[in-house]
Amino acid sequence: MSNTFQRPPAFSGTWSPDTIEAIQEKAELGRYQIRGQATKRQDLPSFDDLVFTPAGLSRMPLEGYRERCDTKVVIGEGRVSRPLVLDRPIMIAGMSFGALSVNAKRALGIAATNCGISTCTGEGGMHPEERQHSSKLVMQYLPSRYGMNPYDLQKADMIEIGAGQGAKPGTGGVLLGLKMSEEVAKMRDLPPGVDQRSGCRHPDWMGADDLYMKLEQIREVTNYEVPISIKVGASRIANDVRIACKADVDAIVFDGMEGGTAASPAVQLDHAGIPTIAAVAEAVEALHDMGKQDDIKLIVGGGIKNGADAAKCLALGADVVYLGTAPMIALNCHAPIYLEDYERLGTTPYECQHCHTGLCPVGITTQLPKLMARLDVEEAAERVTNFLNAMTMEIQLFARSCGKNKVADLDPNDMRSLTHAASMMTGIPMVGLNGRKPWWTKF
Amino acid sequence: MENVETLAIDCSDKATREVNNLIRKAADDGVKQVEILNTQARHNIGVGILKPIHLIYRGHVGYYTVGLCDNVTAEIHGTAGWGVGDNLLAGEVVVHGNAASSAAPSLRGGRVIVKGDSGPRSGVYLKSGDVIIGGNAGYMSGFMMQNGRLVICGNAAKGLGDSMYQGQIWLGGEADEIGSGVEQVDPEDGELDAILTLLEQHKMKAPKAFKKLQSDRSLWNFNKHDFAAWKDAL
Repeated sequence: MSNTFQRPPAFSGTWSPDTIEAIQEKAELGRYQIRGQATKRQDLPSFDDLVFTPAGLSRMPLEGYRERCDTKVVIGEGRVSRPLVLDRPIMIAGMSFGALSVNAKRALGIAATNCGISTCTGEGGMHPEERQHSSKLVMQYLPSRYGMNPYDLQKADMIEIGAGQGAKPGTGGVLLGLKMSEEVAKMRDLPPGVDQRSGCRHPDWMGADDLYMKLEQIREVTNYEVPISIKVGASRIANDVRIACKADVDAIVFDGMEGGTAASPAVQLDHAGIPTIAAVAEAVEALHDMGKQDDIKLIVGGGIKNGADAAKCLALGADVVYLGTAPMIALNCHAPIYLEDYERLGTTPYECQHCHTGLCPVGITTQLPKLMARLDVEEAAERVTNFLNAMTMEIQLFARSCGKNKVADLDPNDMRSLTHAASMMTGIPMVGLNGRKPWWTKF
Repeated sequence: MENVETLAIDCSDKATREVNNLIRKAADDGVKQVEILNTQARHNIGVGILKPIHLIYRGHVGYYTVGLCDNVTAEIHGTAGWGVGDNLLAGEVVVHGNAASSAAPSLRGGRVIVKGDSGPRSGVYLKSGDVIIGGNAGYMSGFMMQNGRLVICGNAAKGLGDSMYQGQIWLGGEADEIGSGVEQVDPEDGELDAILTLLEQHKMKAPKAFKKLQSDRSLWNFNKHDFAAWKDAL
């Protein structure tokens, strides 16, 4: 028996190892830290703070393998001549060619096509490979207008005006030099190897009135055929919804602060925007206030990791969930392979957030041919397809267990809150209270 | 509309969509030019036209005139609202009056000429082609331009060419302030002559001299020893 006692380290709460490392990194680099993926915060309210209250005696559930549970969503129905029909309430979020390798874009396109859902170009223009592999492709129209042209707009199945993203609301995109390959640079009209910083606001519209005119311009170019959405980082939700309604968009996309990124200032990731669970609740209320809840679809993203998150988001009132990081992980992001390359980056699988470096060990967020070759497109596409199928089954599982034959019929009454914070934010009653005030308030 | 040389479209009794569809049909039918009457500063007139045609606007126009077009030439006999020639791929737009903010944003080819003054952010995100301003240009003109030429015969307000990646700015007058990452350089042989020829072709008065400005590339990649530039650029 040993007589030595190993005292656990007593780290300071203020000067934690992460804080010390951040200060030392800034002291070395002379700039703010940049990292990929998403916020590292672990104290955010999330969909895990809600639970479903499925059927019992008072409501009948649906048979899992016998009774249908519809998952279809249509964006722009009755508004444009070619609405976007999604087989499931899921879309792959905008991730640029540049941020991702072309193999990753191909694989996501194949998987999305297999599942009857869409991918999105992200910044940097429409790569022909993505158009070829994605049967439903959303084209982002962003401040930088990299690669923008009317012909590609006409090839798109929906246009998404990008006005912000959850990972870094109020700032523009970043693509560091190692990822600015000859091909990426050519598509963006930039010099290869340059650290690209994109504008944070559109060059030719500023407010609500301008946005209406911009929408009219894009509708003219696309002959009023396809829906137009506007994507905003979740922040000043209610006012943003009002402006989007005035502009008469077909869908609004809110990206919560848990949203993904290929490169963002770390402080922005951790200290800007609002959590997704709060965003969806505020957005739904604002849409109802405007009387537009039946006309304008609500798409919500930001840290949605499984069917439970998605089902809760839909039950709160979203029509579609946006996925970026989760399908990337299904591609192979964080996979415990090529361990020596993780080590060279000073990281490990499961904690890697080095998308911004362009040295992705698994070939997803890189433009280096040697690394890109590590992602087998067919295998990766199958993994993402499997993940999306599993997630769809999970969403249906909750809908059926709550007695709903359409996932769109999930509603706030199907849930209860586990925390006061979630209850306050969403209006979902606390568990155990059955929506009433505590019993002792009667006396 | 076959064999029609010039088609006249009166905007006063037509919706924007109808006007644009008439222009597109005229281009499809090989009509050489369209005269657009009673423009009434309307927005999005002549947008998304992708076949060659010449547009003559008789009056003031609103936002995004000749926006997202290809191979279109146009003359605007009035002032132009925001974003004239937005994202033009090829062709030429001549504004005979002044232009409001963000003239020729993200131009990808061809030429946008403003014979009068032009507002803030003229030539913003210019990617290729020429933006030529006969008078003065507003705040942050040439911001983040990526290539092409921005020619300003008069003066420029603050932030000229701020954060430009590539391309050239030719300034006839003075700038209130040059933007971050911009330097003045000597023209190369023939460059100035090409500019003067362009001005002469369009009957525009050239200033006595031009300064050539371009990116000093200090903002291409982060440099911790040049904090002053990055403090303003980021």
